[in-house]
Amino acid sequence: MGEDIRRVTGTILRAPFTRRTVREMLYCGVGGLAGVAGFWIALVLLVFGLGVSASVLGTVVGLLLLTLALRVGRRLGALHRRLASWLLGYRVDAPPKFQPGTGILGRLDRRLRDRAAWRGISYSLVKLPVAAVQVYAICAAVIGLVDLTYPVDWVLFRHHSGGRLNPLIAVTTLPAGGNLKIYSWPGTLLAALTGAVSVIAASWLARAINVGDRRLVRGLLGPTTMAERVSELERTRTLAVEDAAAALRRVERDLHDGAQMRLAALAMNLGMAREKLGDDDEHADNATVRELIDAAHHNAVDALADLRDLARGIHPPALDNGLASALATLAASSAIPATVRADIEQRPAPAIETIAYFSAAELIANATKHSYANEIKIDIHTERSGVLRLEVSDDGIGGADLARGSGLAGLAQRVSTVDGRLDVSSPPGGPTIVTVELPLKA
Amino acid sequence: MRVVIAEDAALLREGLTRLLEDRGHSVCAAVTDGDALLAAVAEFRPDVAVVDIRMPPTHTDEGLRAALALRKEFPDTGVLMFSQYIETSYTAQLLEGGAAGVGYLLKDRVANVAEFTAALERVADGGTALDPEVVSQLFRASRQRGGLATLTPRERQVLALMAEGRSNAGIAAELVVSGGAVEKHVASIFAKLGLPPGESDNRRVLAVLQYLGG
Repeated sequence: MGEDIRRVTGTILRAPFTRRTVREMLYCGVGGLAGVAGFWIALVLLVFGLGVSASVLGTVVGLLLLTLALRVGRRLGALHRRLASWLLGYRVDAPPKFQPGTGILGRLDRRLRDRAAWRGISYSLVKLPVAAVQVYAICAAVIGLVDLTYPVDWVLFRHHSGGRLNPLIAVTTLPAGGNLKIYSWPGTLLAALTGAVSVIAASWLARAINVGDRRLVRGLLGPTTMAERVSELERTRTLAVEDAAAALRRVERDLHDGAQMRLAALAMNLGMAREKLGDDDEHADNATVRELIDAAHHNAVDALADLRDLARGIHPPALDNGLASALATLAASSAIPATVRADIEQRPAPAIETIAYFSAAELIANATKHSYANEIKIDIHTERSGVLRLEVSDDGIGGADLARGSGLAGLAQRVSTVDGRLDVSSPPGGPTIVTVELPLKA
Repeated sequence: MRVVIAEDAALLREGLTRLLEDRGHSVCAAVTDGDALLAAVAEFRPDVAVVDIRMPPTHTDEGLRAALALRKEFPDTGVLMFSQYIETSYTAQLLEGGAAGVGYLLKDRVANVAEFTAALERVADGGTALDPEVVSQLFRASRQRGGLATLTPRERQVLALMAEGRSNAGIAAELVVSGGAVEKHVASIFAKLGLPPGESDNRRVLAVLQYLGG
């Protein structure tokens, strides 16, 4: 019994000093402020959108505002999901991608019925009280820390030997607690005690409110229902199967038009050379034979090069030594100077490594073709939350668009087959940053 | 022999042209797709056309379709399909209208210039030239029916060479036996398969294929 109490007390008292508390606090600060801001943005857009569309004249403007609110709702949802993943290591799958309809009415219809967007807005609205508690927790922790310094503060700066006493004012963190006025050093100990209690209480309050926030994130920002998840999986499975079939077709085509054709030409040249040699050396047409053998030699060398390229295209040998070395090899052969920074703590599954490698290869090729950049940076690292993050950035002209560049869209599809995601940030004028996130296991 | 070549890979197109011209044949035209092939044959009326199966624009069976059209419109022109693969269904389509003046060879076969040109000459003269691969595919396809089980290994060898379009003399040379021995094998094969011995090489091929094809 006494043992248990000591253990529990120990846990309670040690809480503020754990890394977890630091992360939870950080989430309270960042997530809480983002929550407050998101609430007002969502509320204003929604109220204006609904209000204006209710009036006859403003319908068009109102609907525009409403679609804007829904777009923003999706973005806010994504932001909060990312914060939870980044700071809390709490990963929730993204809802299915928005599928734009055709025509103005079709688009509008899809937007208005975009459940993920409405849920993003709901989260933003529900988040306000949660965010208030989160912000309160972080304030309490900060005030508590300040209170803790008072005894030292008194000794260093307020040690008056006589004359008027300047009272120290300690703020208590309870809403109705009022302020403590302190006239003596022992008084500061009381302030320090309140501070200590505040810090400990704030740590636990942060944890508690974040448990609730996690629930909300999962409930409102994840894939809606099992059915939606299933349809998403069906879609990505189709993509995966098609992608594999297309890859095999490509290999066959490359073989047929490349190595096979060159080897046939090689055989033909050698056959002709043998003919020219005749049955005895006397009648050999040496000049022609030499020419034919030269041609055959060329065919053989070209066929080898073709086969090497093809083999590398199927599985780059450097990948056997891990992504870092494979990407270094890739960067070394880039036409635009490319640097790699890799920090891979946990080795991803081979399929994930392959996808990451070919994503990087494609992104480098894209940058080389379109960006007019002077420099490409490749950053790859694993994150605590079990995510492999690849970032390829260049200092080029920007303007890369997921919707227009079929290469990028194809890449996004391939990445989505393993529940990964691809984001493009490429304003006109640059820089372009493409981020690919993949789970460590396929 | 006057030849038209349809092949989209420049390396092989030029190689073939040179190979045939070296041997004293005349290459009237070397084109890169099916439509151009039909036009060239209409213009030059060659003895034989060498046709790659996969050509632009779709890179699937352009050459086969052009070959079938040639067979219909210009029956006097022999057609040698020339490909990196042997597809049994292509063989069947090509042979539907008879085996005269038809050939189907793997591109590998150009390595033996003498045999390749001999096969081409055979097709130009209204004969048949089927790749050993075609024949062995057909053999495999028909094996489960067990009809060939009664043949001795030697007879099977002879049958395969017959199916390629070889004459008895050619078979004798290939197997290094006397012409009489080959005749005996052929008679025995026809007897075992219940086929009346034919007069020309083509009818032998047809008979063999009809049996093999089912």
